[in-house]
Amino acid sequence: MTIRISRLLLTGLVLLLSVAAPASAEVCAVDDTDREVCLAAPAQRIAALSPGATELVYAAGAGEKVVAVVAYSDYPPEAREVASVGSHTRLDLERLVTLRPDLVIGWVTGNPPEQLERLEALGLPVFYIEPRSFEGVSGAIERLAILADTEAEGDRVAGEFRDGMAALAARYAEAAPVRVFYQVWDEPLMTINDDHLIGQVLRLCGGVNVFGALPRLVPRPGEEAVLAADPEAILAGGMGEENRDWLDHWAQYPQLTAVARDNLFFVPPSLIQRPTPRLLEGSRLFCEKLERARERRGALGS
Amino acid sequence: MRRLEARELVIDVPGRPAGRALGVCVEPGQMWGVLGPNGAGKTTLLHTLAGLRAPRRGEVRLDGRPLAALKRRQVARQLGLIFQERHDGFPATVRETALIGRHPYLSPWQMEGAEELRLAEAALERLDVAHLAERLVSTLSGGERQRLAIATVLTQAPAIWLADEPTNHLDLHHQAGVMALLAEQAAEGCAVLMCLHDLNLAARWCDHLLLLYPDGEACWGPAEAMLVPEVVERLYGQRLATAWVDGAPVFVPVR
Amino acid sequence: MTALIRPLGALALSALAALVLSVALGSVTLPPDEILAALGGQGEALSRTLILELRLPRSLAAFAVGGLLAVAGALMQVLLRNPLADPYVLGLSGGASVGALMAMLAGLGSVLVSGSAFVGALVSTLLVFGLAHGRGGWTPARLLLTGVVVAAGWGAVITLMLAVSPADRLPGMLYWLMGDLSYAGTPWPPLVLLAIVCLLAVPLGRSLNVLARGAMQAAALGVSVRRLEWGLYLAASALTAMAVTTAGSIGFVGLVVPHMLRLLLGNDQRLILPACALAGGTLLLLADTLARIMIAPEQLPVGVITALLGVPTFLYLLYRSQ
Repeated sequence: MTIRISRLLLTGLVLLLSVAAPASAEVCAVDDTDREVCLAAPAQRIAALSPGATELVYAAGAGEKVVAVVAYSDYPPEAREVASVGSHTRLDLERLVTLRPDLVIGWVTGNPPEQLERLEALGLPVFYIEPRSFEGVSGAIERLAILADTEAEGDRVAGEFRDGMAALAARYAEAAPVRVFYQVWDEPLMTINDDHLIGQVLRLCGGVNVFGALPRLVPRPGEEAVLAADPEAILAGGMGEENRDWLDHWAQYPQLTAVARDNLFFVPPSLIQRPTPRLLEGSRLFCEKLERARERRGALGS
Repeated sequence: MRRLEARELVIDVPGRPAGRALGVCVEPGQMWGVLGPNGAGKTTLLHTLAGLRAPRRGEVRLDGRPLAALKRRQVARQLGLIFQERHDGFPATVRETALIGRHPYLSPWQMEGAEELRLAEAALERLDVAHLAERLVSTLSGGERQRLAIATVLTQAPAIWLADEPTNHLDLHHQAGVMALLAEQAAEGCAVLMCLHDLNLAARWCDHLLLLYPDGEACWGPAEAMLVPEVVERLYGQRLATAWVDGAPVFVPVR
Repeated sequence: MTALIRPLGALALSALAALVLSVALGSVTLPPDEILAALGGQGEALSRTLILELRLPRSLAAFAVGGLLAVAGALMQVLLRNPLADPYVLGLSGGASVGALMAMLAGLGSVLVSGSAFVGALVSTLLVFGLAHGRGGWTPARLLLTGVVVAAGWGAVITLMLAVSPADRLPGMLYWLMGDLSYAGTPWPPLVLLAIVCLLAVPLGRSLNVLARGAMQAAALGVSVRRLEWGLYLAASALTAMAVTTAGSIGFVGLVVPHMLRLLLGNDQRLILPACALAGGTLLLLADTLARIMIAPEQLPVGVITALLGVPTFLYLLYRSQ
């Protein structure tokens, strides 16, 4: 319900902005640092300075306009053919400038501020994004679509994402809570708290993050803490898209509820760790796994 | 012509109670010897007289003016010090080392010129190390190093010479040469004060003596008055037999 | 004076050559006539941006930082009478790093990060100086010990900060610690400081030569030892603080360049200090150029390249001097 209303508001805002804009094809949008970025004309040459930003730009329908990406921009596959300008933590400014972008998409916490400030000093518009919520993902897609004048595609993708997440929320709203541990990395052991996007997915699926209340966004608990928390299910990615090693590590603790019930679930990291439309697919996987954990609960009569 | 005067001077030896106040006056033309057993404070006294250490009480005066009130550069033009110990942190040639003796005379923007070079060369020649001019100091023997240190002070050409064991590491030939050099300086009107551990060297060359006792006691005066066997025996805590060679006494420890 | 001119002239020429190379080369290849046009303010807008806004300021900053570090290293070696001293031995880069990392943790902008680094460097300087002050002033040995301990303390603080920082801040912090010339803003403050210090090297150089032989010996030859040592400490700290604030802590230059020059040119500080400025700047210029183009568009940390260039050169010179 609330998603529909905010969508209406957003559409209204977009209309208002387009009416308020001067007669020329100027496009404006507010970025995730609350700055309004205006371009004299829709962007034709976009530089995406993080793998997540690349995915979001393609999702917004502006994939053909991308002229520069950074290392590890592997999705969608077309992005691998685009010129690279270094890594997101250390950009090759020369190459970037030579590609003559008219819009630079930066990641709020990922890119080096000195280099992005240098780009702004050279007159390149920088649009910062970093979605921290589901609405943040769909909102980012829509705003990027405005700047690239691909609203038809962008709004469609954003709508699909929004509807999909809403459906999941509705379906699992009444689900019995399942105590979950989500493992981000194994050495050091890293997880996420409730504020993190992945933590929000867990909540959506009716999971209870055993480390959700910790203050840090990406806490590093010890192994003992996990044993003490005794989660009912353990969800983990791994190094790469198919590596179950981290889950196998927990098998040495048969007393863990998650091990006893074989609730050790692998989720490919790229589906859940990037705030992009693929998060929907990852969320569906999460919810599926947790549902399986609930089923096993019933079977054992606990 | 410069005179160095110690007034009511009590040197600061850490851990030792204050000794006798010294009232020594080193006049131009005099050769003073400072004698005493190990640990008596000879080096401390020398450094205090040079203004490098603060005394516990009293003051040192250069030509009637308190040393502490003078600028170090001024003092360095009149007072030269031959150290007992040397530090060689960074490599340098023999010639460069002799040349630093001219530092007190050159203004910051001045580079060493022909005159400075000439003085340094003459000094190296006089101390018989001129043939080592291009060598690195770290490659010298102990005796050569000692002679270089003296050559540096000779380049500095001060009116007052303070020498701490100037004959250390030197063979007999060079020992005699160095003492003759110091005597020459005195004869030309410099004031010379040297710490010596060799009693006989002092007996032969010095006209005034300052005796330092380990407990802080001291006495000083013309050499003839000081070189009395009982006094000297008490100083070193060692029985001595006296002989006379060439008009000067020679003291030999008795078994 | 003439004895200074020839080696300094040769070094100046190689510095100029390195500068030309640094501006001419980059991850984007430009034809020479374009480069010249851009330098004269003409030519295409893109070329002018690349040369005048990106490459030239970075090259000048690289030269300045390299020179600052090498001179600071030479001064530190005279101050501590120890050939193993480098600009960071007294904990200054540790303090600057702590300042910068704290600013990054707080999410401050790059100007404040630099400012914070500078303040951290100052705090470290004063801390070491205050702690090293014993009865009767400080000796080089005491200063060195205090500095090493304080540096270790800062190191522990840095490790702690890295351990507790949020995961997304970590890469930025690590890159700052490795040193990177892409952070350099305007090159003028470090260049001006370098020029001033080199100018002062000539009148103060001989006093430094005398000081290098020992404090007592220097005092006996009329050097105001305490004042000079104080001045050396402040100068070395200011140079290092400026270098670290501009480009993070780039290692190796400050230790090895003075040594290499001493092997070649002897020990007259009047020659060594300006030579360090030129040679250190040249080394960092070459290293940064390589770091930019070797695996472009990936950028390498410049500290690694300085070591890769400097170590064999130094070993060769050492071998030749035996």
